[in-house]
Amino acid sequence: MLARDCHCRTNTRGMLVVKRVQFLGSSRSGLGEWLVQRMSALYIAGFLLYLIIRFSADPVADYDAWLQWFGNGMVRAAFGVFGLSLVAHSWVGMRSVYLDYLHPFWLRLTVTGLTGASLLALLVWMGRLLVETRIP
Amino acid sequence: MRKSDRPVFLNLFRIQLPFAGVTSIVHRVTGVLWVLLLPVATYFLQLSLENREGFNAIMALWENPVVRVLTWLFAIMLAQHFFSGVRHLLLDLDIGVKKQQAVRSAKLCWLGTAIVALILGVCWW
Repeated sequence: MLARDCHCRTNTRGMLVVKRVQFLGSSRSGLGEWLVQRMSALYIAGFLLYLIIRFSADPVADYDAWLQWFGNGMVRAAFGVFGLSLVAHSWVGMRSVYLDYLHPFWLRLTVTGLTGASLLALLVWMGRLLVETRIP
Repeated sequence: MRKSDRPVFLNLFRIQLPFAGVTSIVHRVTGVLWVLLLPVATYFLQLSLENREGFNAIMALWENPVVRVLTWLFAIMLAQHFFSGVRHLLLDLDIGVKKQQAVRSAKLCWLGTAIVALILGVCWW
Protein backbone atom coordinates (compact mmCIF):
# COMPACT_ATOMS: atom_id res chain seq x y z
CA MET A 1 0.00 0.00 0.00
CA LEU A 2 1.26 3.45 -0.89
CA ALA A 3 1.03 6.53 1.29
CA ARG A 4 -1.38 8.19 -1.12
CA ASP A 5 -3.79 5.24 -0.89
CA CYS A 6 -4.56 5.78 2.76
CA HIS A 7 -4.56 8.85 4.95
CA CYS A 8 -0.95 8.14 5.73
CA ARG A 9 2.43 9.68 5.28
CA THR A 10 5.87 8.12 5.09
CA ASN A 11 8.15 8.94 7.99
CA THR A 12 11.91 9.50 7.80
CA ARG A 13 12.56 5.77 8.05
CA GLY A 14 10.25 5.03 5.15
CA MET A 15 7.46 3.59 7.31
CA LEU A 16 3.79 4.40 6.87
CA VAL A 17 2.35 6.58 9.61
CA VAL A 18 -1.38 7.15 9.88
CA LYS A 19 -2.14 10.86 9.56
CA ARG A 20 -5.80 10.74 10.38
CA VAL A 21 -8.28 8.02 11.15
CA GLN A 22 -11.44 8.24 9.10
CA PHE A 23 -14.48 6.14 8.32
CA LEU A 24 -15.31 5.03 11.83
CA GLY A 25 -18.66 3.72 12.99
CA SER A 26 -21.68 4.15 10.76
CA SER A 27 -19.78 6.57 8.54
CA ARG A 28 -17.95 3.51 7.24
CA SER A 29 -21.03 2.24 5.43
CA GLY A 30 -21.04 2.83 1.71
CA LEU A 31 -22.45 5.37 -0.67
CA GLY A 32 -25.21 2.94 -1.60
CA GLU A 33 -26.58 2.87 1.94
CA TRP A 34 -26.26 6.63 2.21
CA LEU A 35 -28.29 7.05 -0.98
CA VAL A 36 -30.94 4.50 0.08
CA GLN A 37 -31.34 6.35 3.37
CA ARG A 38 -31.83 9.73 1.68
CA MET A 39 -34.08 8.58 -1.17
CA SER A 40 -36.33 6.57 1.14
CA ALA A 41 -36.46 9.54 3.53
CA LEU A 42 -37.69 11.81 0.73
CA TYR A 43 -40.35 9.32 -0.36
CA ILE A 44 -41.57 8.62 3.19
CA ALA A 45 -41.78 12.34 3.96
CA GLY A 46 -43.60 13.06 0.68
CA PHE A 47 -46.10 10.23 1.08
CA LEU A 48 -46.82 11.12 4.72
CA LEU A 49 -47.42 14.75 3.77
CA TYR A 50 -49.79 13.56 1.02
CA LEU A 51 -51.68 11.37 3.53
CA ILE A 52 -51.93 14.23 6.04
CA ILE A 53 -53.22 16.70 3.45
CA ARG A 54 -55.56 14.15 1.82
CA PHE A 55 -57.24 13.07 5.06
CA SER A 56 -57.31 16.53 6.65
CA ALA A 57 -59.17 17.85 3.61
CA ASP A 58 -61.51 14.88 3.30
CA PRO A 59 -61.72 12.60 6.37
CA VAL A 60 -62.74 8.96 5.86
CA ALA A 61 -66.52 8.68 6.22
CA ASP A 62 -66.88 4.93 6.76
CA TYR A 63 -65.47 1.49 6.02
CA ASP A 64 -66.69 1.48 2.41
CA ALA A 65 -65.06 4.81 1.62
CA TRP A 66 -61.81 3.63 3.27
CA LEU A 67 -61.76 0.36 1.31
CA GLN A 68 -62.56 2.16 -1.91
CA TRP A 69 -59.70 4.59 -1.40
CA PHE A 70 -57.30 1.74 -0.63
CA GLY A 71 -58.59 -0.22 -3.61
CA ASN A 72 -57.33 2.44 -6.03
CA GLY A 73 -54.40 1.05 -8.01
CA MET A 74 -52.29 4.20 -7.66
CA VAL A 75 -52.82 4.35 -3.91
CA ARG A 76 -51.91 0.69 -3.58
CA ALA A 77 -48.76 1.09 -5.67
CA ALA A 78 -47.80 4.16 -3.62
CA PHE A 79 -48.34 2.11 -0.45
CA GLY A 80 -46.10 -0.63 -1.84
CA VAL A 81 -43.25 1.80 -2.43
CA PHE A 82 -43.97 3.33 0.99
CA GLY A 83 -43.60 -0.06 2.74
CA LEU A 84 -40.42 -0.79 0.83
CA SER A 85 -39.01 2.65 1.72
CA LEU A 86 -39.91 2.22 5.39
CA VAL A 87 -38.18 -1.16 5.63
CA ALA A 88 -35.09 0.02 3.72
CA HIS A 89 -34.89 3.22 5.80
CA SER A 90 -35.27 1.22 9.02
CA TRP A 91 -32.60 -1.26 7.99
CA VAL A 92 -29.95 1.38 7.20
CA GLY A 93 -30.86 3.45 10.27
CA MET A 94 -30.82 0.55 12.72
CA ARG A 95 -27.55 -0.70 11.26
CA SER A 96 -25.84 2.67 11.79
CA VAL A 97 -27.08 2.70 15.38
CA TYR A 98 -25.73 -0.82 15.96
CA LEU A 99 -22.39 -0.01 14.29
CA ASP A 100 -21.94 2.99 16.55
CA TYR A 101 -23.07 1.62 19.90
CA LEU A 102 -22.90 -2.20 19.86
CA HIS A 103 -19.21 -2.97 20.02
CA PRO A 104 -18.93 -6.70 20.80
CA PHE A 105 -18.98 -8.38 17.38
CA TRP A 106 -21.14 -11.37 18.38
CA LEU A 107 -23.75 -9.07 19.92
CA ARG A 108 -23.88 -6.81 16.87
CA LEU A 109 -24.08 -9.81 14.56
CA THR A 110 -26.95 -11.34 16.53
CA VAL A 111 -28.95 -8.13 16.84
CA THR A 112 -28.36 -7.17 13.19
CA GLY A 113 -29.47 -10.64 12.09
CA LEU A 114 -32.63 -10.52 14.20
CA THR A 115 -33.44 -7.02 12.92
CA GLY A 116 -32.94 -8.10 9.31
CA ALA A 117 -35.20 -11.13 9.73
CA SER A 118 -37.88 -9.04 11.48
CA LEU A 119 -37.82 -6.32 8.82
CA LEU A 120 -38.04 -8.94 6.08
CA ALA A 121 -41.05 -10.51 7.82
CA LEU A 122 -42.62 -7.05 8.11
CA LEU A 123 -42.11 -6.46 4.39
CA VAL A 124 -43.77 -9.79 3.54
CA TRP A 125 -46.67 -8.92 5.87
CA MET A 126 -47.13 -5.51 4.21
CA GLY A 127 -46.96 -7.09 0.77
CA ARG A 128 -49.60 -9.68 1.63
CA LEU A 129 -51.81 -6.93 3.02
CA LEU A 130 -51.61 -5.06 -0.29
CA VAL A 131 -52.23 -8.12 -2.44
CA GLU A 132 -54.89 -9.84 -0.36
CA THR A 133 -57.15 -6.88 0.37
CA ARG A 134 -60.13 -7.27 -1.96
CA ILE A 135 -62.62 -4.56 -2.75
CA PRO A 136 -66.21 -5.90 -2.79
CA MET B 1 -4.95 16.12 27.95
CA ARG B 2 -3.41 12.89 29.11
CA LYS B 3 -3.90 10.03 26.72
CA SER B 4 -5.72 7.90 29.31
CA ASP B 5 -8.45 10.55 29.62
CA ARG B 6 -9.55 10.20 26.04
CA PRO B 7 -12.82 8.41 25.46
CA VAL B 8 -12.03 5.38 23.31
CA PHE B 9 -15.59 4.63 22.26
CA LEU B 10 -18.70 6.70 21.69
CA ASN B 11 -19.88 5.99 25.23
CA LEU B 12 -23.16 7.91 25.51
CA PHE B 13 -22.93 7.99 29.28
CA ARG B 14 -19.48 9.56 29.28
CA ILE B 15 -19.67 12.24 26.62
CA GLN B 16 -21.44 15.59 26.93
CA LEU B 17 -23.12 16.46 23.68
CA PRO B 18 -23.60 20.03 22.43
CA PHE B 19 -27.16 21.21 21.64
CA ALA B 20 -27.00 20.25 17.94
CA GLY B 21 -25.60 16.87 18.98
CA VAL B 22 -28.54 16.28 21.31
CA THR B 23 -30.89 17.01 18.40
CA SER B 24 -29.07 14.40 16.32
CA ILE B 25 -29.15 11.75 19.01
CA VAL B 26 -32.86 12.34 19.61
CA HIS B 27 -33.31 11.87 15.83
CA ARG B 28 -31.88 8.39 16.34
CA VAL B 29 -34.00 7.67 19.40
CA THR B 30 -37.25 8.71 17.70
CA GLY B 31 -36.20 6.71 14.63
CA VAL B 32 -35.60 3.52 16.63
CA LEU B 33 -38.89 3.95 18.52
CA TRP B 34 -40.78 4.37 15.23
CA VAL B 35 -39.17 1.22 13.82
CA LEU B 36 -40.62 -0.60 16.84
CA LEU B 37 -44.02 0.98 16.08
CA LEU B 38 -44.06 -0.16 12.44
CA PRO B 39 -45.52 -3.64 13.20
CA VAL B 40 -48.19 -2.01 15.39
CA ALA B 41 -49.10 0.42 12.60
CA THR B 42 -49.20 -2.43 10.06
CA TYR B 43 -51.46 -4.43 12.38
CA PHE B 44 -53.85 -1.47 12.70
CA LEU B 45 -53.89 -1.01 8.93
CA GLN B 46 -54.71 -4.71 8.53
CA LEU B 47 -57.53 -4.51 11.11
CA SER B 48 -59.02 -1.46 9.42
CA LEU B 49 -59.04 -3.14 6.00
CA GLU B 50 -60.06 -6.68 6.96
CA ASN B 51 -63.72 -6.08 7.78
CA ARG B 52 -66.28 -3.56 9.00
CA GLU B 53 -65.94 -4.69 12.64
CA GLY B 54 -62.18 -4.09 12.60
CA PHE B 55 -62.61 -0.65 11.06
CA ASN B 56 -65.24 0.32 13.63
CA ALA B 57 -63.08 -1.06 16.46
CA ILE B 58 -60.24 1.28 15.46
CA MET B 59 -62.63 4.23 15.18
CA ALA B 60 -63.86 3.38 18.70
CA LEU B 61 -60.25 3.15 19.91
CA TRP B 62 -59.72 6.75 18.78
CA GLU B 63 -62.30 7.87 21.36
CA ASN B 64 -60.14 6.38 24.13
CA PRO B 65 -58.27 9.29 25.82
CA VAL B 66 -55.18 7.17 26.59
CA VAL B 67 -54.92 6.06 22.95
CA ARG B 68 -55.29 9.68 21.86
CA VAL B 69 -52.47 10.88 24.14
CA LEU B 70 -50.22 8.03 22.96
CA THR B 71 -50.97 8.82 19.31
CA TRP B 72 -50.16 12.46 20.03
CA LEU B 73 -46.80 11.47 21.56
CA PHE B 74 -45.98 9.18 18.61
CA ALA B 75 -46.87 11.99 16.19
CA ILE B 76 -44.56 14.36 18.08
CA MET B 77 -41.77 11.78 17.84
CA LEU B 78 -42.38 11.53 14.10
CA ALA B 79 -42.36 15.33 13.73
CA GLN B 80 -39.04 15.51 15.59
CA HIS B 81 -37.60 12.80 13.32
CA PHE B 82 -38.95 14.63 10.27
CA PHE B 83 -37.53 18.06 11.14
CA SER B 84 -34.12 16.82 12.28
CA GLY B 85 -34.10 14.58 9.19
CA VAL B 86 -34.70 17.54 6.89
CA ARG B 87 -31.88 19.30 8.77
CA HIS B 88 -29.56 16.37 8.03
CA LEU B 89 -30.53 16.42 4.35
CA LEU B 90 -29.75 20.14 4.19
CA LEU B 91 -26.42 19.55 5.96
CA ASP B 92 -25.65 16.96 3.25
CA LEU B 93 -26.14 19.75 0.70
CA ASP B 94 -23.66 21.88 2.69
CA ILE B 95 -26.48 24.13 3.89
CA GLY B 96 -26.09 25.35 7.46
CA VAL B 97 -22.82 23.60 8.14
CA LYS B 98 -21.24 26.53 10.02
CA LYS B 99 -21.48 26.09 13.77
CA GLN B 100 -23.73 29.08 14.44
CA GLN B 101 -26.17 28.09 11.67
CA ALA B 102 -26.10 24.46 12.78
CA VAL B 103 -27.14 25.43 16.30
CA ARG B 104 -29.86 27.73 14.93
CA SER B 105 -31.25 25.01 12.63
CA ALA B 106 -31.27 22.58 15.57
CA LYS B 107 -33.35 25.11 17.52
CA LEU B 108 -35.66 25.48 14.50
CA CYS B 109 -36.18 21.69 14.54
CA TRP B 110 -37.47 21.89 18.10
CA LEU B 111 -39.61 24.92 17.28
CA GLY B 112 -41.17 23.01 14.38
CA THR B 113 -41.79 20.00 16.61
CA ALA B 114 -43.42 22.21 19.25
CA ILE B 115 -45.68 23.84 16.62
CA VAL B 116 -46.79 20.43 15.33
CA ALA B 117 -47.48 19.31 18.92
CA LEU B 118 -49.55 22.45 19.49
CA ILE B 119 -51.54 22.18 16.25
CA LEU B 120 -52.33 18.49 16.83
CA GLY B 121 -53.25 19.23 20.45
CA VAL B 122 -55.73 21.89 19.33
CA CYS B 123 -57.19 19.64 16.61
CA TRP B 124 -57.56 16.53 18.77
CA TRP B 125 -58.88 18.04 22.03
